[in-house]
Amino acid sequence: MNIKKIAIGVAIVAIAGGGFVALNQAANNDSGSSSKTVSFWYGGDGDTDIKPIIKDFTKQTGIKVKIQSVPWSQYNDKLLTAAASKSGPDLMVMGTTSVPNFVSSNSLMDISDVIKKDKNLQSNKFFKGNVETTKVNGKYYGVPWYTETRVLYYRKDLLQKVGYNEPPKNWDELYDAANKLSQRSGKDTYGFSIDQSEPTFGFMMARQNGATLLNKNGQTEFNQTAMVETMSYLQKFVKNGVSPKEDLKLSIGESFGNKGLLPMFVSGPWMVKSIEQDSGLKDSQWGVAQLPAGKYNNMSNTGGGDLAVFKYTSHKTEAIKLMKFLSKRENQIKYYKNSNSLPARTDAWNDKSLQNTKVQVIRKQLNSSQPMPLIKQWDQIGQNYVKAWEKISVENADPQKTMNTFNDQTNKSLDTSK
Amino acid sequence: MKNNLMKKLMPYTFIFPALLLLILFSIIPIIISLVISFTNLDITGLGNWGAVKFIGLSNFINLFHDSLFLQAVGNTLFYVVIGVPAVIALSLAIAIMINFGQNRFFKLMRLVFYTPSITNTVAVAVVWTFMYNPSTGLINNILNQIGLGSVGWLTDQNVAKIALIILAVWKAIGLNMLIFLAALQGIPKDFYEAAELDGASWWQQTIHITIPSLKFSIFFVSVTTLIGWFQFFDEPFVMTKGGPLGSTNSVALFVYQNGFQQSNFGYAASASFVMFAAIILATLIQFKLQNKQQNG
Repeated sequence: MNIKKIAIGVAIVAIAGGGFVALNQAANNDSGSSSKTVSFWYGGDGDTDIKPIIKDFTKQTGIKVKIQSVPWSQYNDKLLTAAASKSGPDLMVMGTTSVPNFVSSNSLMDISDVIKKDKNLQSNKFFKGNVETTKVNGKYYGVPWYTETRVLYYRKDLLQKVGYNEPPKNWDELYDAANKLSQRSGKDTYGFSIDQSEPTFGFMMARQNGATLLNKNGQTEFNQTAMVETMSYLQKFVKNGVSPKEDLKLSIGESFGNKGLLPMFVSGPWMVKSIEQDSGLKDSQWGVAQLPAGKYNNMSNTGGGDLAVFKYTSHKTEAIKLMKFLSKRENQIKYYKNSNSLPARTDAWNDKSLQNTKVQVIRKQLNSSQPMPLIKQWDQIGQNYVKAWEKISVENADPQKTMNTFNDQTNKSLDTSK
Repeated sequence: MKNNLMKKLMPYTFIFPALLLLILFSIIPIIISLVISFTNLDITGLGNWGAVKFIGLSNFINLFHDSLFLQAVGNTLFYVVIGVPAVIALSLAIAIMINFGQNRFFKLMRLVFYTPSITNTVAVAVVWTFMYNPSTGLINNILNQIGLGSVGWLTDQNVAKIALIILAVWKAIGLNMLIFLAALQGIPKDFYEAAELDGASWWQQTIHITIPSLKFSIFFVSVTTLIGWFQFFDEPFVMTKGGPLGSTNSVALFVYQNGFQQSNFGYAASASFVMFAAIILATLIQFKLQNKQQNG
């Protein structure tokens, strides 16, 4: 009886142990021992977005590609595990803002040589703002793949009613138009929406007002006049009820469509499709415009995705082949058609699939667009900005004082992490 | 002799698999994170161990000067102080009421109250976010219908914490109710019969028989609930991201934000250690109280 029990116990342990070994082996195989398979990590739905393009690649080169689609919300966690374990994909999509982080964790391969040798990958082929996101300390760690920038979305019909046949061209007009719109009758009507949780908005606006954000020594300048003036300007919207104090959590059909409770907002190209599908508006009722200019310019915020090779890949040649393939003009256009992500290659934009007037406004805005400063702490700074802005907007705190505190805090944390 | 040795080894053999898993997935990670909490490990250190430095206690010192952390601690205490008694009182009350009868209605009620706890927190939180929506949500619409004003459930700093507690209590009642129900059915009927003969009212029976007999289950429920509420995470993570103005941020969420969003692993590890210590301490106090009660 006892011996039987022991035997069973031993068997269980053996099976469990065996299971571990088997799992381990499976995991090892997963990272690819056959030399003709490249693994590719993609943020979003890879099946519809890139599988058709990858199929062409396999047909042409014989190299198989294993696509792993990860939702964007979990993509960073996934990359962190890859960085820590030094085992990951061969090629991956990198959100433009993550590049400095993963360069500093030693996870991305320096591909400056590859770029120098291939004129298809060189800087002049892509938008300047996107190329900037691939470059850290003069070396290239990726190639731009798709691009994003912020533009102004507005309700043509409602703006006309308050006397604006054209969208606002500068900050004064933006406030004036928004103010008039907010005085329409009805419950909860506003003029302009400021996204409370958007970590880049204030910085983008501050640049239009001449702010540099970081000085030559890498210190932040959030307490300087250019930035503080911007915060005061934005505070005015909330204080006077032109913009809501809090996220109203409305669907696009309620906020922008229908009565247009929030008839103007700033957002990225992904909203074009969302408005077309879900707002219930006719095409003539709304428009997309370049950002209203501040004192200095109407600089927008570049985002998007880059393609980067994982530093510890054992399939460097194949991964680079795939990267080159995805960067070809015709494949960038195909990718746009599948996913609506805008091509980072400038010459892809003369294709007829991108001639929609709304999309072309985004094209123009891309000439005046720049990424957020590329330092690894920027995520954290962005999160702290959201908190500072909450204080200014919700609690009506003094912008100068709030920005002083925010700036001191940031510089302190930048110093300690050096 | 041989038999004796076997007998001694037996229990260890049986707990060995569980022990192995415990060491591998709990004890070792805890030790590693303790070590990490004394370093400046961030994303650079992740790929380059050379950049990781031991910085002594400075993570802990910074933590207690960090207003965001202190706010998260305050919020967490608020969750614990309101949430834990609410869960225990409500689930006990419901268990006693359901224990009144055995017919279909009572069985249905048991199902009704248990269902929330088999649902997935994230999925439920999304649904509750819709109900809490300030302008189109169900709850505000009902309030407006009966002539009351709208409430900024998740957008008002003072209300948001309560809104999250309501959801968490609603979800926690089911499981604890079941534990109480099982314990209630284990109380010998003779106690009540004897009390009835002595002329004790229902209320007296509840106070003097039911509740004392449930001491152990009350203790169990309060320990598990307390630990759960100290780690309050899913609800604010899905519904408010810790806002508005950090008013719903919990320590667990603070750890997540610092560790996984801002990649300050050392700092996050030290915060999670503070939380770990607080949970151990609270549990020890409860054990002490329980012992005292039993001995006294």
